[in-house]
Amino acid sequence: MSSITLGQYFPGNSLLHRLDPRFKIVLAILYITASFLCKNIWSFAALAISAVVLVLVSRIPVSIVLRGLRPILFIMLFTVVLNIFLTRGETLLVEFWVIRIYLEGILTAVSMVLRITVIIVGTGMFLTYTTTPIALTDGIERLLSPLKVFHLPVHEFAMMMTIALRFIPLLIEETEKIMAAQKARGADFSTGSLLQRAKALIPILVPLFVSAFRRADELAVAMECRCYRGGEGRTRMTVLHATAADWLMLAAVVLFGVSLVLINRFAPGFTL
Amino acid sequence: MNTLQLEHISYLYSAGTPYEMRALDDVSLTIRGGTVTGLIGHTGSGKSTLVQLLNGLNRPTEGRVLMDGVDIWEKPKEIARLRYRVGLVMQYPEYQLFEETVRADIAYGPKNMGLSPEEVEARVLEAAAFAGISPEMLDQSPFDLSGGQKRRAAIAGIMAMRPEVLVLDEPAAGLDPQGRDEILGGIRAYREKSGSTVIIVSHSMEDMARYCDELIVMADAKLFMQGSCEEIFSHPEELAAVGLDVPQITRVAQLLRKRGLALPESIYTVEQAAAALRRLMGGEGK
Amino acid sequence: MRTEPAIQSTKGRDLMEPFIQVENLSYAYEEEGARRPVLRDLSFAVEKGEYVAILGHNGSGKSTLAKLLNLILTPDSGKIVIAGREITDPNLTEDELYEVRRRMGMVFQNPDNQLVATVVEEDVAFGPENLGVPSEEIRQRVDEALALVGMQKYARHEPHRLSGGQKQRIAIAGIIAMLPDCIIFDESTAMLDPMGRRDVLRIMDNLNRERGITVLTITHYMNEAARADRVLVLNDGELYMQGTPAEIFSHPDELAAIGLDVPQCTDLVHQLRAAGIAVEGDCLTPAQCADAICAACAARGIPFNPPQS
Repeated sequence: MSSITLGQYFPGNSLLHRLDPRFKIVLAILYITASFLCKNIWSFAALAISAVVLVLVSRIPVSIVLRGLRPILFIMLFTVVLNIFLTRGETLLVEFWVIRIYLEGILTAVSMVLRITVIIVGTGMFLTYTTTPIALTDGIERLLSPLKVFHLPVHEFAMMMTIALRFIPLLIEETEKIMAAQKARGADFSTGSLLQRAKALIPILVPLFVSAFRRADELAVAMECRCYRGGEGRTRMTVLHATAADWLMLAAVVLFGVSLVLINRFAPGFTL
Repeated sequence: MNTLQLEHISYLYSAGTPYEMRALDDVSLTIRGGTVTGLIGHTGSGKSTLVQLLNGLNRPTEGRVLMDGVDIWEKPKEIARLRYRVGLVMQYPEYQLFEETVRADIAYGPKNMGLSPEEVEARVLEAAAFAGISPEMLDQSPFDLSGGQKRRAAIAGIMAMRPEVLVLDEPAAGLDPQGRDEILGGIRAYREKSGSTVIIVSHSMEDMARYCDELIVMADAKLFMQGSCEEIFSHPEELAAVGLDVPQITRVAQLLRKRGLALPESIYTVEQAAAALRRLMGGEGK
Repeated sequence: MRTEPAIQSTKGRDLMEPFIQVENLSYAYEEEGARRPVLRDLSFAVEKGEYVAILGHNGSGKSTLAKLLNLILTPDSGKIVIAGREITDPNLTEDELYEVRRRMGMVFQNPDNQLVATVVEEDVAFGPENLGVPSEEIRQRVDEALALVGMQKYARHEPHRLSGGQKQRIAIAGIIAMLPDCIIFDESTAMLDPMGRRDVLRIMDNLNRERGITVLTITHYMNEAARADRVLVLNDGELYMQGTPAEIFSHPDELAAIGLDVPQCTDLVHQLRAAGIAVEGDCLTPAQCADAICAACAARGIPFNPPQS
């Protein structure tokens, strides 16, 4: 019994959860673009506040959001160290042996960290935390559907994603079962030389591949039995309707971007 | 000999996460050496977890598993050795076959035990005979066998380790009546020859009644009942309450008793029913 | 407001000719250059609204037959007619082919390998979506199909977290939503626990009796075959026996010869008869069996002492 949930979807019914997935993808792209418009300390402050507002609106616990940042902690630290010690500027703050720390370095480091955080939180709030993988796939398919004119296999790509999402948890479970079964026959996956360990994987990989092909085969037959014939002539149960909330949110994010540019231009502050 | 004891066993999945689930809750029981014990229970009752505790694939969250009085987790580094003594055939074991020949696949366990090539070969032949795998089949690819044959080859792979306790999770699931009888017959042959303890998990009350001396009934992560087939199958209401059943023949006997025929309470195989009715009705013979 | 259900009973329509007619059907698998015959010269017919069980040992050709009936496989020779249209006609159009698959729904053994979507209702909608049904009607069909199998509560769940029996009910709903005339169950209860099996069998009975859907069920469980109107027994790709369950199970030795057996109730009565005790009747279920034995006891003047309650 494993409880693997793909992605970070956090069930809820907030405004962000209810938005049309197509809009959410566009919103995420716009929001990330906006984060690159920040040029001075005031626009950065506005960006930081917007991220906090997004988290509040999504009603996702802050602890969960922070946990989501943990994997990129190392990258952030690396960026900070690199920027602080290597950026050369005009305002020298510390000088010790070969180390010279400038104010500009610190400001760049802070702005980089803020930007990375906002990108992660922004995509999280618009997409991964508030949108089920299936809705996301659906959104991508419909956003890209104009490309069908150029004979791009948009439907097939989305169907592949859906099936992958459906079968990855099954195959993980299956791997665990096969490992347990081979352990019951005395398999040892944790000791020995690298070569021995690689060889010890054969009893897992062979049954896993056999099983994956069997499943694929059975699924293909089951899909044919349910009259699947590709994307042509296919209808959908859920029709995505853009609501007032979607358009308002879009307007809000666009306005936010514009206001960032205006802040850069007119508000006095440290230019970064 | 080969007695397994569970002392206040509890087992938690994903402990400490929001998905935490208690699969076993304070289970204590003894499985006597040399018996054939049936393990029954609805899906999610804790059967499969219990089975994986017996050979050390799962380590209990609380409590101890004793094999002949010794805690199996006394020396955690030697748990692999226990797995040779308590052989586990998991559900749909044919999906674990991987070698190029049936012979090599059956030999996988004995080889891991570090036995000499001669000893491995002897054990492969012995296990194949128990499981009804003919010598010609040994040199075929396991993937070319029929469903029932694959299942038997996989079971032979465990028998070849000569476990003192043989545990099988749903060994006959999905097989036709003949395939089922071949597998259960092979298990019986192995036990008679080796004197080992056998534990079978099954949903088929009819099979349980035919092959088991003793039954363990699990429900909602707890031990619900333990006793002989006779004792367990005389509680049809309690079994129904936990999503289980009695053999069809036991229901016939109950109906007949309710109508007032003087039949014993301990009927759970067709042979018993026929014998009791012959006594009652005085068969005229042919 | 909707006026009539999207899923309608089809019972009692065109009873003129059999719904499924199979004549001299043969099929062989190609295996390393050699041809391995699976079905040999098979002929039978199924009426509209009938409940037919197909018995046979593993590898007797049952599953192959199922896949021929909805043209997943193409027969080597012979004829299949479904609802008056010969589907083995080489001029069958693609649209007609998909119409055959819609009419002849299939539910397989492993529920995991027939569910496509990661949300229950999306999966049920998969068939109707492929058929190009308008969105509002798909919604209606999905809701009704889920209600029919008692899974409305789980509409937004992930199939991955459901039990085997529940997943199988979803798979059945996915077929019902295509409004089939016939559903073929290919060992659909084999991987389920007793509770899951009971649920699925009840749904099968209900679909047949209430909705008039023709049911073909392939099974290894004799008790399940005993529920059918008629049983076909296959052996090595040939029709070995056919008849009502009572007729079929009155031949225990013939069944044992091809690796099958009979329900325990029937077995008991056969053993009594072999011992010279005359027991009359069919005896497929415990109730029938008890009735028959009581009648035999009464005829012998054996005393009845019902327990006081």
